[in-house]
Amino acid sequence: MSTPLIVTKRMVDHPSDSHTLERYEETGGYVEAKRALGLTRDELVEEVKASGLLGRGGAAFSAGLKWSFLAPARPSYLVINGDESEPGTFKDRQLLERDPHQMIEGIIITAIANEVHHAFVYIRGEYPKPARRVQTAVDEAYANGYLGKGIFGSDYDLELTVHLGGGAYICGEETALINSLEGQRGEPRLKPPYFPAAKGLYMMPTIVNNVETVSNLPHILAMGSDDYASLSDNADTGTFMMSLSGHVNRPGNYELPHGITWRDLIYDIGGGITGDKELKAWIPGGASAPWFVPEEHLDLEISKDATAAAGSMLGSGAVIVMDEDTCMVRAAERVVRFFAHESCGQCTPCREGTTWLEMILRRIEEGQGRAVDLDLAVDVSDGISIGLGWPPKMTTICPLGPSAVSPIKALKDYFIDEVDRHVAEGGCWFPGAKKTLNTPVLVGSPTTRASRSAPRAES
Amino acid sequence: MSIWSEATQQRARDILSRYPEKRSAVMPLLYLAMAEEGHLTNEGMAEVANWCEITPAQVQAVASFYTMYKRERTGKYLVSCCTSISCMLLGGDDVLHAVEDESGVPHGETDQEGVLSVEHVECIGACGGAPAVQVNYELIEGVTPEKARELVQWLKKAKPEVVNTDEMQQLFGGTRSFDWGIAEQGGAVGPYPAFQPLGTVESEAEV
Amino acid sequence: MTDLVHVTINGTQHEVPAGELLIKAAQDNGTYIPRFCWHERMNPVGMCRMCLVEIETPRGPMMVTACTNPVSDGMVVDTENAEVKKAQEAILEFLLANHPLDCPVCDKGGECPLQDQAMAYGPGESRFVEIKRHYEKPIPISDLVLLDRERCILCARCTRFSDEISGDPLIEFKDRGNATEVNTFPELPFSSYFSGNTVQICPVGALTAKPYRFRARPWDLQKVESSGMFDTAHPRLEIHASQNEILRYTGVDNDATNHGWLSDKDRFGFEYLRAPDRLTKPLVRRDGEFVEVEWPEALDIAAGRLELIIDEDGGSAIGVIGGANGTNEDAYALSRFARDVIGTPHVDSRMDDALASHFLAATVDRALISDIDEADTIVVWGPDLKEEHPTLYLRVRRAAQELGKTLVVVHPRATGLDDRATIKATYRPGGGFELLDEIAEGDHPEISEALSVDKVVAIVGIASHADGPQLAESVAALVRQKSSGTKILPLNGRANTFGALDMGLAPDLGPGRLNIESPGMSTAEMMEALDSGELRALVMVGADPIGNIPDPRSAINGLDAAEYVISIDLFVNESNLNADLILPASGFGEKEGTVTNVEGRVQKVNVVRPSPGAARDDWEILEDLSRHMGKGMGFSSSETIAKQISETAPAYSGVTHDLLEWDERDGVVVPIDGGQSFDHIPVALEGPKAPGAQFTLHSARVLYDDGVRVRHCASLAPLARGPVVQVNPQDAPGLGAQDGSSVKVTTGHGTGEFTAVLDPDTPSGVVFIPFDQPGARSLGTDPVVRLKVVN
Repeated sequence: MSTPLIVTKRMVDHPSDSHTLERYEETGGYVEAKRALGLTRDELVEEVKASGLLGRGGAAFSAGLKWSFLAPARPSYLVINGDESEPGTFKDRQLLERDPHQMIEGIIITAIANEVHHAFVYIRGEYPKPARRVQTAVDEAYANGYLGKGIFGSDYDLELTVHLGGGAYICGEETALINSLEGQRGEPRLKPPYFPAAKGLYMMPTIVNNVETVSNLPHILAMGSDDYASLSDNADTGTFMMSLSGHVNRPGNYELPHGITWRDLIYDIGGGITGDKELKAWIPGGASAPWFVPEEHLDLEISKDATAAAGSMLGSGAVIVMDEDTCMVRAAERVVRFFAHESCGQCTPCREGTTWLEMILRRIEEGQGRAVDLDLAVDVSDGISIGLGWPPKMTTICPLGPSAVSPIKALKDYFIDEVDRHVAEGGCWFPGAKKTLNTPVLVGSPTTRASRSAPRAES
Repeated sequence: MSIWSEATQQRARDILSRYPEKRSAVMPLLYLAMAEEGHLTNEGMAEVANWCEITPAQVQAVASFYTMYKRERTGKYLVSCCTSISCMLLGGDDVLHAVEDESGVPHGETDQEGVLSVEHVECIGACGGAPAVQVNYELIEGVTPEKARELVQWLKKAKPEVVNTDEMQQLFGGTRSFDWGIAEQGGAVGPYPAFQPLGTVESEAEV
Repeated sequence: MTDLVHVTINGTQHEVPAGELLIKAAQDNGTYIPRFCWHERMNPVGMCRMCLVEIETPRGPMMVTACTNPVSDGMVVDTENAEVKKAQEAILEFLLANHPLDCPVCDKGGECPLQDQAMAYGPGESRFVEIKRHYEKPIPISDLVLLDRERCILCARCTRFSDEISGDPLIEFKDRGNATEVNTFPELPFSSYFSGNTVQICPVGALTAKPYRFRARPWDLQKVESSGMFDTAHPRLEIHASQNEILRYTGVDNDATNHGWLSDKDRFGFEYLRAPDRLTKPLVRRDGEFVEVEWPEALDIAAGRLELIIDEDGGSAIGVIGGANGTNEDAYALSRFARDVIGTPHVDSRMDDALASHFLAATVDRALISDIDEADTIVVWGPDLKEEHPTLYLRVRRAAQELGKTLVVVHPRATGLDDRATIKATYRPGGGFELLDEIAEGDHPEISEALSVDKVVAIVGIASHADGPQLAESVAALVRQKSSGTKILPLNGRANTFGALDMGLAPDLGPGRLNIESPGMSTAEMMEALDSGELRALVMVGADPIGNIPDPRSAINGLDAAEYVISIDLFVNESNLNADLILPASGFGEKEGTVTNVEGRVQKVNVVRPSPGAARDDWEILEDLSRHMGKGMGFSSSETIAKQISETAPAYSGVTHDLLEWDERDGVVVPIDGGQSFDHIPVALEGPKAPGAQFTLHSARVLYDDGVRVRHCASLAPLARGPVVQVNPQDAPGLGAQDGSSVKVTTGHGTGEFTAVLDPDTPSGVVFIPFDQPGARSLGTDPVVRLKVVN
C-alpha cells in the first residue's frame, strides 16, 4: 500500500481546487506536453508501450500498441472516451471534474504521438458538471496557447472539441462513439472492417482512448516508462482506479496498487459490509462482468490475468458489493434491464434476447415464474453467448448483448435454490419486495417513454 | 427562414465551426432546439436537419436513439431518479416512489402545470453516492426518500430559476462519490444539460 | 483477372475470388448460408446475424457473420456444426418472438424468406410466452407503400436502400433497442421515385405495395421476363400475372442495366394496360363521331384512302411518325410500310425534342452503361437523370458514391445527383453554349481538370428546352477534345428511340442505320407541310405530337389541316382525337419482340396476357393494311421480322429471338460504329421576348408526366405535379407569390395559369415549369417569361 498515487494525487493533495489551471501549473502541469513536442511519434509510442499502460475503458488493451496500429492516412483523429456509463463506474467522472487539465495534457501528448490536429472529448450527456469543468479548462488552455494554432509557440496546431452525449451507454463502445460523433445513431460498427485505427471518425485513422488512460500519460513521461512500470511487480503496471459501491461502509473511487486481493478491497479499503452483514456476491468489473462469490473468489488477486482465469474481468473497474439480504433475482433483473434498455437494437440476439431475459426475470421476481424459466433463460442466453463461456462466444455485433448474460450465469452457477424458491413461493421474500407481487406482468408494449422497463409503482 | 432566435442561430453557427463535418453537430444542435422550445418538437428536428444538411428523418433517427432528447412536453424541472443496480441496492426504488408520491407525477410523465417531470433512469455515474437523483441533470448524491420529498416540495414552492448542484447537494444530499471541492456557481435552467457551448449555463446573478 | 484463393467449406475445398464475401463465395459453390439483411447490391451490415458460421482462427474456432467477412486463403469454414445450428435456431427464435403469425393474410406468404427459413432452420415452436410488440398496422408511408412494423425484422434493407442506393433517406430507424422501428418523419412521406424497390427487397411482409396488396398469392402467378419501357435503359424486369391480369413487376438483377432496381414509374407503370378506356375496336369517324367497326372494314377504308392519295400525288404526300414506343419488329414493319408500301421518305420517330438522329444512332465511341463503373470521370450535362432516366441515375449515383468516381453535373437547376457531384455547374437556361465556350477557353479550370483524365463517360442530352438539341453534340465534342478516352451516352426520351432509329424510323436513316442520300422531312417539318398542304395525310403509330413536341402549335395546326389521319394507338389522345381512323394496338406484356436500349443493348420482351378486345400488334396491323393495299410485306410473326432485321441490318446479324430467349437473357449489344463525328457548333438562340420579362424559363421533363400511359395508371397519375411553376423562395416576395399562389405565366408563344411552388432547388431569376404537365406546352420553349400572381 506504499505505492504512490498517480492520477488522483493532485485532488487528494488539493481537495478544493485541483481542477484549476493555477493549481495544475503550480504542481508541474503542462511540462510534459511541451516536452512531447520535441519527441517523434516513434519515441512516444515506444515510451508508452514500454510503460505497459493498459486501456482503462474496459478492454485493457496496451495503449502503446493501440497507437502503433494507427494507419498512415491523414488526417488522423483522437477521441477521448468520457462516456462512462457502466453501472458501478464513476472514476472518469472524478478525473474529468477534479483534474481536467491532467486529461488535456494527456490529450496533447496523445495527439502529438499520433499526428492528430483535431481531438474530441466525448462526455456523457448526464455529466454536465464534468463537461463544464473540462470546457472551462479547454478554454483556459486555448487562451494560454496550449491548444489551438501553434501550441506552446511551436508550429503544431491542435483543436479540441468537447462533445456532449445524448444518453446512450452503447456510445462507450468505441465504434458506436465514433458513429455518435459523426451525428449518426450510436450503433457499433462492424469489426472488421471498421477498426478505428484504420477507418474511424469520418473513415480516417482514429485513436479512441479512455479518460483515465490519457490522464496517466503526463506521469509516464515525467517518471519515465521504467519507473511507471515498476510501480507494480506483476504484469499490470502503474496503478489502477476502482469504483466501489453497494453494501460497503466506505464506497468511492480508489487509486490502488496492483497485487491486492478482493478481501483487501472490500474489507480493508471499503471498510467491510454495511451493518456487519455477510457478503453474498460482488460484481468485479462493472455490470458486464460475471459475478464473484466469497466462497470461491475472495482471496484472488485483483489483476487482469487472475480475474480472467476465474472467468470474469476487471472491465471498467467498478466493484458492486451485495450483502446477504440482497435478492439475487432482483439484482440480476436490474442488471439485465440495464442492458436491455441500452441495447442499440441493430442486431437480433441483443435486441430480442436481452428484453426477453428481462421479462423472464421480472416474472420470476414478481411471482409469475415457472419451473422451466431458469432453463429457458439459460437457453436464451446461450443464443446470445454460445456456451456461456468467458470470454463470450458472441452471436452479436458488440459485447453488450453477452454482458446481459453474466447475471443469468450467476443465478445458474450459484443461486439456483433462490430462483427455485421464487418460483415455488410465488415471488420474493427479501426485504423491499414490491407489493405488486402476483399481479400480471405487463410487458411487450413499446413506448418512447423511459418507462418502458421501469420498476412498477405501487398501485 | 430559421425558426430560431438570432442568438440561437449564432450559437448554432459557433457549434458548427467546432466540427469538421456538419452532420457531427446534430447532437449539440438538438440540445439547442430543446433549449429554444422547452422540448424537442418536429419543427425543431426539421430545423436541425436544415443546419446539418440531412433529412428530418435522419435527425429523428438520431434524436430518438438517445434518452435525453425529450420529444414530449417536459416540465421546467426534470427529476431523474437512478434505479440501476448500485442505487437499487441502497434504496433507489424507494427514492423514486417518494418523488412520485410527493409530486403526484408517475415516472415518465409531466404534471399539468408543466413544472415537474419525473423519470427513472439507468446509471448516472454516482454509484459511490447512491442513491442519486438529478434535477435537470444537476446531481444530488446520497438522497433518502425523506430528502427526496423535501426536494420536490422545494422545486414546487421555491421554483428556482437556476438549479445548482452544490446548493441542492447541501440541502438534500448525503454521502458523495468523492470530495466535490469548491462550490460551483450557476446551473441549469431547463430539462437539458447546462453546458457553455449550448449557452445553457446560467448564474443566479444574471437572472 | 481476380486472384483466386482456397477456402474450405464444410470439408470441401473451393477456389474463390480473393476478397469476396464468404456468404457469396459459399453460395456460388453450392452452400447456401441463410440470411435476411445481406443484399448483394448493398454494403453488408451484419445485423440480422442469421448468417453466423464458424471459422478456424489461431485462437480457436470463432463465430463470424458470413456476410461481413471476406474470404482469405486457407480459410476453413463450418456452416453446419452444432454450434452454428444452435446460433441459427436462436436467431430465428429471436426473430419470431415478436413476429405476428399472420402469414395467411400476408402478401409475402409463399415467397417470404422468414417463412422459408423458419421452416428450414427454425426450432419449430416458440417459447416466448410474453406479449408481443404491438403497433398500428399497417400505416401508409407514401402514396404507394404501406408499412407493417409488427412484421418488420429490422434488417435495414429498406433504410439502406434509400440512403445508399436511391439517395433519399426518408425512412430511417427510430427509437432504439427493443422499441426500434422503421418509420418516416411525421408528415414527410417516403415519396421516393424508387420506393417500390424496398417492397421487393423486404425479407418479410413489412413493406407492401398498394397496387399489389391482397391481389394474388405468389404460387398463382404466371411470370415472364421483359424490360421496363418507360426508360431508355430498359431495366430488366419480371412481369407477374394471374388470370390474364398483370399484377406486378419485379426487378431482375443483372450487371448490364439496372442491378435489379426499378423506378416506381417502371414498377407500377403497367396499370394503363387494364384501363377501362383502352381501345379495343377500330374507330372510324362518321359525321364527326367515332364509330366502332370490324377490322376488315377499317382496313378497307384505310387502304382505300391511302391508295387514293398515292395515286393522285404519290406516296410522298403522306407522312409517317411514331414507332418509338413499340418493339423493334413494330418499328421495322413501320419503316418498311412507309418506305416500301406507301413510298414516302417522310418518316420520323422523334418528336422534335430529340438529339439529331445521326448523333443518337451513329455516334463514334458510344458508351455502355457499365462503362460508368470504369470511368475516371463521369460528366452529366443533360436532363436531370433522376427525373428522366432513373435507371442511369442509380448507376451514376452508385459510381460516384460507392466507387468514388469524379462526377461533373451541369444543369440549370439542382438535380438528384448534386449531393454526390464532385463539381456542379449551374447555368441560366439558354446559356449552355456560353458556359461551354467558357470551359473551352479555360475559365473553369476545375472542370477542365476533371475532364483531363484517361477515361470519361459523357452522358449528354437536352438539359433544358431553351438550349435546344444541338448543345449536347457540342458538349460531347468538347469532352472528346479534353480526353481521348471519352465515351458518349446520348440520351433521348421515349423508351425504344434507339430501336426505332436502328429500324430506319428517321428521315435520314434507313434500317440498319444506313444513311439516306436525300432525307425526308422531320416530324416538325411534316407538321408544317400538313399545314401548308404539301402533305395530305399522316400515319401516326404510338405518337402524340401535340403532347410531345415542345412547341405544339405547329402540331395542332398541322393535324387540323391534314386531309386524312390514321392513328394506331392504345388510347385516344390529344393528337388522334380528331383523326379519321384509330386502330387499336397491343401494349408491352401483350406482344413479343425485341427492344434496343440507350447503349445499343437488344433485349427480348415477352407476352404474359392477350391484348384486350380486338387490339393487335402494330406489325400485324401494318402487314394487314399493306395486304389490303395489295402490297403485302410477308411478315407472319414477330420472330420472322426479327429474322429479316438480322439479315438487313448488319449490326443485328445473328440477334434472333431464340438467342435472346435462351442464351442472352440480359441482351446483346449491337455494335454501333456509325463513324459519325461531330463538332462544336455554336448556335445562338434568340427567342422572342415577352414584354416586361422577369425570369428565364427552365422547361424540362419530370418523372411523373402527363403522358397518356401515366394518366391511365391509377397509382401513378396522382403523383404528377400538375401545372406548377417552381420559383426560388427569394423571388417570391417580389412577385407577391406564396406557396400555392395562382400565377399567370406569359411567354412570347403563349400564356397559362400555374400553381406556384416555392423551390430552393431552382435558382433565383429562373422559373422551372415541368414541360410534360397540363398547360405547360402552351408556353413553347421560349426562355423569356413574365409572371403575374393572380391570387
